[in-house]
Amino acid sequence: MTPLVAFLEVGVSRAARTTMSSLPVVSTEPDTMLTLEVAPHQTVAVLGDETSGVDALGGLALGLERPLTGRVLTLGTEIATLERSAQLAFRRRVGYLPAGDGLMQNLTLRDNIRLPLRFGSDFRPREIEGRVDVIVAQLRLTRVADLRPAQANAEDRRRAALGRALAFDPELVVLEEPFDGLTDRAAAELLEAARGGETAEGARRTVFLTGPDLPALLRPRVDRTVRMARGRVEEVR
Amino acid sequence: MTGLLAAIGRGTARWLGRVGLLARFAFEAFASIRTLPGAGRRVAARVLLNQLRFTALEAVGLIILLSGVLSYLTISSTIAQLDKVGASELIGKLMVVAIVRELGPLLTAIAVVGRSGTAITAELATNTVLGEVRALEGMGIDPYHYLVLPRIFGCVVSVITLMVLFDVIALLGGYLAAGLFSGMSGARYLGIVLANLTTQDVVLTVFKGLLFGTVIGIIPAYEGLTVRRGPTEIPQAVIRGTVHSLGMIFVLAAIIVGVLVR
Repeated sequence: MTPLVAFLEVGVSRAARTTMSSLPVVSTEPDTMLTLEVAPHQTVAVLGDETSGVDALGGLALGLERPLTGRVLTLGTEIATLERSAQLAFRRRVGYLPAGDGLMQNLTLRDNIRLPLRFGSDFRPREIEGRVDVIVAQLRLTRVADLRPAQANAEDRRRAALGRALAFDPELVVLEEPFDGLTDRAAAELLEAARGGETAEGARRTVFLTGPDLPALLRPRVDRTVRMARGRVEEVR
Repeated sequence: MTGLLAAIGRGTARWLGRVGLLARFAFEAFASIRTLPGAGRRVAARVLLNQLRFTALEAVGLIILLSGVLSYLTISSTIAQLDKVGASELIGKLMVVAIVRELGPLLTAIAVVGRSGTAITAELATNTVLGEVRALEGMGIDPYHYLVLPRIFGCVVSVITLMVLFDVIALLGGYLAAGLFSGMSGARYLGIVLANLTTQDVVLTVFKGLLFGTVIGIIPAYEGLTVRRGPTEIPQAVIRGTVHSLGMIFVLAAIIVGVLVR
């Protein structure tokens, strides 16, 4: 089966991230070489501390940064090589929960979930509202949906950020540090929502997540775990 | 001596590099108009309306105050002197050349930089530091479409509108001051001013509004989006955005006077 994400001899470093992908980035030498494939319906975790370069993988998978060496294929396409407008259109096919949630602070949680649908789809307003209502209910955000991120707690903000990532019901979800600061129970709920239920082949959605560690409760729900440290990549499970 | 020249050269190269990046940013921002999706236009239009409310509508009071006080001070301090030498007719020329053509656009632009340019840099720098800009790109929304273009167009429309308001209030203020300090009739004052006001003055005002508004939209946005290190860099970005915008506006004003106004 064609992998949904493939890192092919990708040189990873702790390079400064770009603020916008079209603005220049300081390039550095790679200190880890990564080859990794994420098969459909799998949940794959790459773990490592902040010196390992693991926090760059989400951006590489979405083409927000170009790899220093090697290639990254997402849904069979090297996003970073596409023209800018094609890159943006392509990313709507992938759900993305960035580290620190990245919610727009001037919008309510509901408006944050609504934003990608309003900006990047031709759905009618009623369809958008219907879809947003379903996501809000599924993620148990009804009570806080009209709060702004600063008024909500960390758990609700993370749920809203996941809701935004799932707005287009993508087949692939990229999660950066999704469980940071959450209780094991909240983390488990979040992962189950990202997986989107079960099918005969595995989870309905393919999940690629990165972060420093994985709560013990979640380890059985993750199909593959890879750890990056000091320039080495080890398959843990 | 060689060391001094090398330092000047390095400084110039750095400055040219920054100007090049800013030019590229401006070009990419305007070029992104052609890729703005239909649905995105409605969302961007809402952001634009918010920007107009903040930059134009909420600045009306400040512009009226600035304009009224400036015209009052100009007329009250000059009309008596002009009367003494029998040159009160020159009040019209003074109002048109000094206030409508030069000071009006310049002071309006300075006020908008102070109110909105600083806010744009601070807001976009905060968006950047909190990872919102990266998140937008990650979900397929172009930050140029959602954050930059509405602010550029908002600033252009606001600056032109506020410049026209500034000039109208200045002329009205002059009318009141002329009547108060010189006993000049309203009809005479208006006759003198209108005789000195040409189509070129109106076109120049709009042209300056277009240029200054673009500068106030682009430079603060660029400085906000290029913050890298974290929240501590936001005040520095605001200072850079303000100083560079003001510097560019003064340079452009000087170029316009040198090239277009004879």
